[in-house]
Amino acid sequence: MPSAIFTIARSGLTQARRSLELTAQNVANAENANYSRRTLTQGELVMTGNIGNNAQDSLGGVRPGIIERAESSLVQRQARDSSSALSAARAEFLAMREAESAIETSGVYTGLVDVEAAFTRLQNNPLEPALRLSALESARKMAGNFRIANGTLANARSLVQAEVTAEALTVNERAKELAEINADLVGSREGTAGRAALLDARDKVLRQLAEEFGIEPTINANGTADVMLTGTPPVALVTGAVASAVSVSFAPDGTASFAVGGTGFVPAGGAMAGRASALIGMAGLQTDLDTIATSAISIANAAQGNGAAADGSSGQPLLAGTGAGDINVVLAAAEGLATAPAGAPAGSRDTTNLAALLSALGASTGPGSRADTLLLGLSSRVSALETRSEGLTVVAQSAEAELLRETGVDLDTEAANLVRLQQAFEANSRVIQVAADLFDTILGLR
Amino acid sequence: MTSITNSAGSFFNRSLAQMSDLRGGIERARSQIATGRRIERGSEDPAAAAQLRSVARREALSKVEGDNAARLGQDLGAASSELEAVTALLQRARELAVQAASAPAGDRARQAIAFELEQLGEQLFGRANAASLTGEPLFAGQSSGAAFTRDAAGNVTYAGTATSGGVPVAPGTAIERGLPGNAVFEFDLAGTPTSAFAVLGALTTALQGGAGDPVTAASGAIAGIDGALDTTNRAQTILGTRMAWVEQVQEQQGERNIALAERRSRVGDTDIAEAIARLQQSLTALEATQSAFARVSSLTLFDALR
Repeated sequence: MPSAIFTIARSGLTQARRSLELTAQNVANAENANYSRRTLTQGELVMTGNIGNNAQDSLGGVRPGIIERAESSLVQRQARDSSSALSAARAEFLAMREAESAIETSGVYTGLVDVEAAFTRLQNNPLEPALRLSALESARKMAGNFRIANGTLANARSLVQAEVTAEALTVNERAKELAEINADLVGSREGTAGRAALLDARDKVLRQLAEEFGIEPTINANGTADVMLTGTPPVALVTGAVASAVSVSFAPDGTASFAVGGTGFVPAGGAMAGRASALIGMAGLQTDLDTIATSAISIANAAQGNGAAADGSSGQPLLAGTGAGDINVVLAAAEGLATAPAGAPAGSRDTTNLAALLSALGASTGPGSRADTLLLGLSSRVSALETRSEGLTVVAQSAEAELLRETGVDLDTEAANLVRLQQAFEANSRVIQVAADLFDTILGLR
Repeated sequence: MTSITNSAGSFFNRSLAQMSDLRGGIERARSQIATGRRIERGSEDPAAAAQLRSVARREALSKVEGDNAARLGQDLGAASSELEAVTALLQRARELAVQAASAPAGDRARQAIAFELEQLGEQLFGRANAASLTGEPLFAGQSSGAAFTRDAAGNVTYAGTATSGGVPVAPGTAIERGLPGNAVFEFDLAGTPTSAFAVLGALTTALQGGAGDPVTAASGAIAGIDGALDTTNRAQTILGTRMAWVEQVQEQQGERNIALAERRSRVGDTDIAEAIARLQQSLTALEATQSAFARVSSLTLFDALR
């Protein structure tokens, strides 16, 4: 029957055209990391009619099947988890590196060494006004360096806090987006391009969420995803079409606490966990910095109190303040530096008290050595974080490469498909031509 | 359908990551060469950074200690040259005392001797109150005022302190700033404390007619002048020893500074030859990667299809 040939060829044409469309779609999305390769399934169409015992088959060509989306939930999960871990390490590394710069470049340590040097020089001639003045100014510079360190550390902290706040908003947007996608997925039909696009969007949102928080998604049979945030305790962020909101609050020491829908939790992965850990580290740094500053203040003032100034009067406090933020020189004039021991007459060149101050400053419990320890601890931590995030980068990259290999578009395959489908299309057209010729032959019978 | 494919996206990502790694390495090597410093921030090498910090502290203190030693050397030198002059002065006083003690010398001659001795006494007082280059008294110990004072009756007393205090010149080493005046000009004569000023003053008064027998007084004064000379010579020896000590410390400081500089350079400086070789290697690798990328990325089937 020529008309059957027409139908068969037409179904072949449709199949080839739709496959070509999908190939074009794949090629167009070759660079879209969130796109999963699509293929069209097909099935043979045979119609069988039965009259009595007579069965008659009628060939119907090909039936375009459903759009299949390359999917691998295991690899997706691997990519998500590794990017979660990488984001955590990276966020903590970047934040702590800021803190390192703040404390290292503000010159807290150099300031303390300069004070030590200036007071050592003063020992040479404790009454020389120039040496006294330079010793006093070195103390002023040191106090200034402490305040700079305090300010830059606060700056680094507020940058991280701002990031936490901003990213929490993004996470809330993403959670809402996922809830909407879930709602749409419930109504979508299996095998349609629309559903495939929704699934792509779902996986994309899951990956984006995983960068900020460690997540534990459950993919339901209908394709919807419920998301739990890992942590103590684990909390539900998205359940079906309902999304809870993440909220952040900051303690006075700068550390962050998180809550989802009112339930407090400590995140266990993702950039947020990294930032939270960095904020805790910064709070520790602040405490250490304040301790060093107060130790400098108390050592200097204790030495002043034990000694006599150039005019023989008892020494007045050199520094004042409660921490690195407000440490300041309060001694009005350089003559007030108590270089001589208490009870020494005016104009004494006795440097016993100065020597005591120097040995307290230079001791292993002195501010200089504490600042050194602080810097060493901090830079070791930053260095360890860098190594960790470098290692995790490799893991995350290979997981992503794996994911792209499973779901990404291979241009060579698509090019081959183009040729194959074009030939199929031409062949089917040829079949129609033949059918038309057959029909014409029949019509031309005389 | 799960099939393993060679995803285009994955290929580009991989190539870009490799190239940016190489670029990062090149940038680091370049800045190491430009700044001459191997470590830009502590976290690049925490242990080396800690070493650099302690070297920097040591260098800062060493510089100050070097200055202290140089100034201490100057002060000790100034004190020593004052003492040389004092020795010459006392020797002249002894000669005069010997002359006065010889019987032939008449009253007139003794008057002239007394006049010269008075001048020598003035000079001795001036030298004892000498100041350093920066105006500090040399023999006042830890006091900043004059070392010796003279009352209306002409009695000279020591006004400084009994010790002079140390100046730190090296880790754990402090050298005494000088000698207090009482150790230089005051001494015991036959169990009685006296001073060079008292000896000269008494002799001058005796020769001016204050004593019935100037000859005996003059010969008696010789022992006192000898005692003063002894004390001055001892002080001179102590100052000489301290100056030698300062010089030795300065030499050690020089060597230590070199050692510190070497250590700093070993820990923190860029090995230029190595850095340049590494830079060249990375540049070559980057160029090769780029051209390989350009060639491989153009190798798709699409280019073959016309």
